[in-house]
Amino acid sequence: MIGRPTAIALIAAGVVLTATAMVLPWYSTAYAGDVEVVVRAWGTEIVNKPGDWPAGELSPWYGLPVALTAALLVAGIWINRAALAGAAAQLGAVGITVALVVSERGHAIEQQGDFAIGFGLVFLAIGTVVALAGAIAVHRETA
Amino acid sequence: MKKILSIVLLGLATAAAVTATFLPFSELLIRLAPGQPQTAYVTTGWSTHFGGTKDEHGPLFAIPIIAAATAVLLGIRWRKVAFAGAAALAGVTGMLFVYLLNAISFHKSGNITIDPGLEAGFGNGIWVLITAVVLAFGAVVLHPDD
Repeated sequence: MIGRPTAIALIAAGVVLTATAMVLPWYSTAYAGDVEVVVRAWGTEIVNKPGDWPAGELSPWYGLPVALTAALLVAGIWINRAALAGAAAQLGAVGITVALVVSERGHAIEQQGDFAIGFGLVFLAIGTVVALAGAIAVHRETA
Repeated sequence: MKKILSIVLLGLATAAAVTATFLPFSELLIRLAPGQPQTAYVTTGWSTHFGGTKDEHGPLFAIPIIAAATAVLLGIRWRKVAFAGAAALAGVTGMLFVYLLNAISFHKSGNITIDPGLEAGFGNGIWVLITAVVLAFGAVVLHPDD
């Protein structure tokens, strides 16, 4: 249909976008007094943390499942099935992330916070869709 | 024979995944003051409750779970979709597991000073969901599409 080289290029582009998403902020909420909570794939950063901030730190490892699916995508350059598994699993992981972000946005607005989506989440979403398109194409080429 | 068993497994995987959304994924039991009864903080796929209070913005994890479960079910008709569906369900489960692990440790460390006897852990929903993933992959291994 689109040819194997193009399909492989799509998977590779998906991997690069996903890798970039691992270092960029996913979402953040700004509160009064310049306090900002920034969530990344590997942790939560609280800028200008006030003294009365609640105890307990949320240290997400959202990057862990995504690193696994990205590894499957890389393997997918040689093994067609791995590409499909990686892309589908990453789509599932993004689904949970979206449900979580919608909930976090609701909580932030309820607490008068200023919620913003980061480039990390945008890159992750685009990377996943691009990789999925490539994985499906690669599967069809060989079928 | 293998084909029939595979179809049965795909059906069971879908049923398990859907059932999991109604079961608790994580549970926190905490006394907000000494001597008081414990309040339960429970998250399912459809809602988050703290005692009798519902969190209006609780995460709807059930939506991606149902979407992946639908793909697994469609795998009965289109074999290729079964593999993608099983993988999607695995991705959903993996990310949810990591989120719950983080949330449980956050609740523990954040509230241990209020109630040293608090209990925080996974609910049965996550184990049922993991079972669904195993069943779905079992079906794919048993009857591969090509």
